[in-house]
Amino acid sequence: MNYQDFKQAVIQAAEAKQVKDYELYYSESAETQTEIFKTEVKGFNTSSRLGVCFKCLVDGKMGYASTEHLSEEEAVSLVERALENAKSIESEEQAFIHTKGDTYAVLPKEEAKLPTAAELIDFSMSLQNQLYATDNRVVDGTQAYAGFVESKSALYNSNGLDLEDSAAFSFTYGMAVVADNGEMYDGMEVASGKFDSFNVEKIAKEAVKDAVDTIGAESVPSGKYPVVFSNKVMASMLSTYASVFSAEAAQKGLSLLKDKEGEQIAADIVTLTDDPMKEDALVKATFDDEGVATYKKNVIEGGQFVTLLHNLKTAAAAGVKTTGNGHKASYASNVGIRPYSFYINPVKGSLDDLMAEAGNGIYITSVEGMHAGANAVTGDFSLAASGFCIEDGKKGRPVKSITVSGNFFTLLKEIARIGEDLKFNPFALGSSRCGSPSVLIKEMTIAGK
Amino acid sequence: MLPQTLVKEALGIALSTGADYAEVFAEHTNQKSIQMVSTKVDKIEDAVIAGVGIRVFKGTRCVSGSASSLERGAVLACARRVADALGTGSAAIANVVLRERRFGDIHPVKIVPVSVENSYKVDFLKEACLAAKEYHQDISQVTGSFLDVDHNIMIANSEGLFAEDRQIRTRIVCSAIASRDGENQTGSCSPGARVGMELFDLFPPKEVGIEAARQAMTLINAGYIEAGVMPVAIENAFGGVIFHEACGHALEASSVALGQSVFAGKLGEQIANEKVTAIDDGTIPNGWGSINIDDEGTPSQRNVLIENGILKSYMVDKLNGRRMGMAPTGNSRRQSYAYEPTSRMTNTFIAAGEDEDKDIIASIENGLYAKKMGGGSVNPLTGQFNFSVAEGYIIRNGEICEAVRGASLIGKGSDILMNIDMVGKNLDRGQGMCGASSGSIPTDVGQPLIRVSSITVGGR
Repeated sequence: MNYQDFKQAVIQAAEAKQVKDYELYYSESAETQTEIFKTEVKGFNTSSRLGVCFKCLVDGKMGYASTEHLSEEEAVSLVERALENAKSIESEEQAFIHTKGDTYAVLPKEEAKLPTAAELIDFSMSLQNQLYATDNRVVDGTQAYAGFVESKSALYNSNGLDLEDSAAFSFTYGMAVVADNGEMYDGMEVASGKFDSFNVEKIAKEAVKDAVDTIGAESVPSGKYPVVFSNKVMASMLSTYASVFSAEAAQKGLSLLKDKEGEQIAADIVTLTDDPMKEDALVKATFDDEGVATYKKNVIEGGQFVTLLHNLKTAAAAGVKTTGNGHKASYASNVGIRPYSFYINPVKGSLDDLMAEAGNGIYITSVEGMHAGANAVTGDFSLAASGFCIEDGKKGRPVKSITVSGNFFTLLKEIARIGEDLKFNPFALGSSRCGSPSVLIKEMTIAGK
Repeated sequence: MLPQTLVKEALGIALSTGADYAEVFAEHTNQKSIQMVSTKVDKIEDAVIAGVGIRVFKGTRCVSGSASSLERGAVLACARRVADALGTGSAAIANVVLRERRFGDIHPVKIVPVSVENSYKVDFLKEACLAAKEYHQDISQVTGSFLDVDHNIMIANSEGLFAEDRQIRTRIVCSAIASRDGENQTGSCSPGARVGMELFDLFPPKEVGIEAARQAMTLINAGYIEAGVMPVAIENAFGGVIFHEACGHALEASSVALGQSVFAGKLGEQIANEKVTAIDDGTIPNGWGSINIDDEGTPSQRNVLIENGILKSYMVDKLNGRRMGMAPTGNSRRQSYAYEPTSRMTNTFIAAGEDEDKDIIASIENGLYAKKMGGGSVNPLTGQFNFSVAEGYIIRNGEICEAVRGASLIGKGSDILMNIDMVGKNLDRGQGMCGASSGSIPTDVGQPLIRVSSITVGGR
C-alpha cells in the first residue's frame, strides 16, 4: 500500500472513531553508501526507510502512534493505539495541533546533482588511493566512504495544514590509519554538500594530517591551564548542551536556565544564534515539525540570555509565542525541541591569535565520551581529550591521554576570546547542527600524568 | 513473517549476478516507551517497525540493501537492487533448498508486554517515581520510563537456513535530580532483562526509585575529586563497562579483521593480567544481552575471550570471519533491518576471581572507589578509552571515605588490562545500550569488584 492510500485509510479510521483533531506525519529517506578497504569495494549499501506517525488530541492531551507497515488493518490499529495513548497522558500542559495561516519563507529550489553508483565507487576509490599516496606511513585499515541521502517529509492535519519538504545531499569521509614506531594513529576528514564540490586531494591531506599530527603525543602534568577549544570541539560542546536551551527541559526542571531570561549567563562577547535557513546549511527548514513557520533569532546576545527555544506546547505553558523549534527526533517521536543551525557568532582573530593570547596552555582538538562524561542537567563535564601544547603562544607538541573538566555554565562565563573561524559540526547531516569559532577559556582543569 | 516461497524467490534474485552467499532478514517489531515526569505520564512513543534487509557476499565483498516493507513487490525490488549493485555476472548458486530450523527459546517470557494495557505499566512506573520523589526534600525532579520491545525476526540464507526468533525485553529507568543552591546533581537506576512484565518482580519499582534518589543525594552532598593518577577499585555489575570499552570492542571482528584493533594478531598471547578471565555469553537465561540466535541465524554461545590473561577468541560474524579465516561465534547483531549486522557483544564480563572485597579496598592507600559507573567510549584502533564515574568515593588508608563527583577514567586498553591486579568473587551484571555501526543494541556488562593498580582520573 502506498502512502496516499494509507493516508486516506487513516483519515477514514479517524473519522470512524470520531477523532476530530489529528495530524499525520510522513517521512521517507533513501541512502546509498560505498566503503573502500585496501583497494576493493568492501561494502555497498542502498537503504530506504519510510514511516508514518499519527497523533490525535483528546481533551487537550496528545497521543502518538507510528508504523512502517502500511495496510488497511494497520491504519485502524494506528488510530486506536494513538487514542489509547492520549487517554494515558497525565501531564497538565495543553497540547495543540497547528492551524494553517502562517506565511512560510520561499527558498530558491536548488537542484542537487546526485552521483550514480559508478561515480560513487570511482570517487571513493580515488579518495582511498589518494589517502595511501599522501604519506608513506599510511597503512591498511585506512578506509574511504562516499554516499548520498534523499529525504522527503509531509505533514497533514485536520486544521487544514498540508505541507511537504524534501532535501538531498552527498557526503564523503576519509579515515586514515598511520603506523609509526609500532603504534597506530587515526585521522578523519568529512565533507558534505554537493558531490561535485568534493576535493579528493584536500580530504585525503586533512585526514592524513589529522593522524600524523598526533604521532608521538604524550600526556601533560595534571593542573590548571588556559585552554583553547578548536572550533570543532566547541561546536560539539554546544551540541551536547543544546538541550539546556529547550523550554521543555526548563519547564520540567531539567535545565538550570529555567527562569533566567534577561540574565547575564555568558561572557559579554558571546552571541548565540539559531538560524533555520542559514545559507550554507545542507538542510534548511521553512517550517518546523508542527507546521509552524521558522525564523532566525538570538538565544544569547552580548552574554545576556534572550529566550529559550519553544514549541507550541511549551510556548502556551509559558504564555509566549512558539519560536518554531518543534522537532521530532525521528518520525516516530513525540514533538520535542531542537535548534537548527545553532552557533556562537564569530568575533575577531585567528587561531594563532588565540594561542598567542593563551601564552602557555593546551589547545584541545578532540574530546571523547560526551554521552557519558557530560551531563546537561548539572552542566558538569569530564572528558577524554587530545590536542597540542601551547608554548610561548605557539602550537607545540601533540598531547593525548588527558581529561578536561569543568561545568558548561561556568565555561560560558569564562570565555575570554572568540575567534573568527566559525565551523559547523560536519557529522550533523540533518537540519540540526551546531557551530562555533575557536574559543579561549581562561582556565580549565586538566588531568594528565 | 514472510512466506518461504517469497524468501526463496528473493534469495534467487539476490544470487542472480554471481554472489556466493545471500541472506534475507525480515523484522516486525512493536516498541513502546512510556515516559513520566514527576509522577505523571508525559509522553508515550508507540512504534511498529517492519522491513527487510538483504545482503549478498562475493568473497569478502558485501552488497546490502534494506526497505521498510514486508510486501512482496518491495522485498523482491530490494533483492534486485542488491544483485544489480554486485555486478553483471551469472548465478553461481542455482537452487536454494530452505530447511526450517528451530533453536528453542532459553529465555522464557511470562507476561507479553504488548498484550498489557498502558495503565498496568503506568502504575508500576509511578511507584518508582514516587519513591524517588519522596526520598528527600532536595529531590527537585524525577523522570522515569518503561520500555518494552517485542522484536520478531526471520533469517534465511543461501546455505538453506530458515529460522525465526522472538526477542522480548523490558526495562525500567528512573532518574532523580537533587538541587541545592543553584546546583543540580543526578542519579539513575535502569535495570532491564529479556523478560516480560515480570520485570517488576525481579526489580521492585520502589527500590529502583530509591536507588536513583540515593545516588543524586549522595552527589549533591559531595565535592569534586582532584585530578591525578591513582589506584582505583571498581565495583561489580555496571563497573564491567571498563572491560566492555577497554577491551571488548577491540575484540570484535569488525575491528580485528580490518587491522583496526590493538589486539589483532595476538591470539594465544598474554594481553591481560593473569588474574583476568573474560567471557562473552549470549546464552544466559533472560539476560538483557542474551539471544537464542544471532542476526545471521548462528546459535548464541559462550565464548571465553581471555583466560588467565591469554587471548583465546574474538567475536566473529560471517563476513569478517571470511577475512580472518574464522568461524562465526554467534555475535552478529543489528539494531533493526535498516542496519547491516556485524560482530557485537552480548553479555560480556570479567569472571569471578579469588580476592576478598575487603582486601581489595584495604590494599589502597590513596585512591578512588568507583561504586557506580556511567557509560564510556573507546577508539579500538588506538585503544584509548574513557568512561565516567557516576558515584565515587575517596579511599584513604584502606578505607572508603567521602563521596566525590565529576570523576572520569581514561587510559589505553592494553595497559589497563595488565593493571587489573585484584579480582573479587562477587560477580554481577548491569544493563546498557551499546552503539556502533550496526546500531544500538542491548548488552550486559559485568564483573566482580576489581582493582586497577594505576589509572588517570579526571576531576577538578
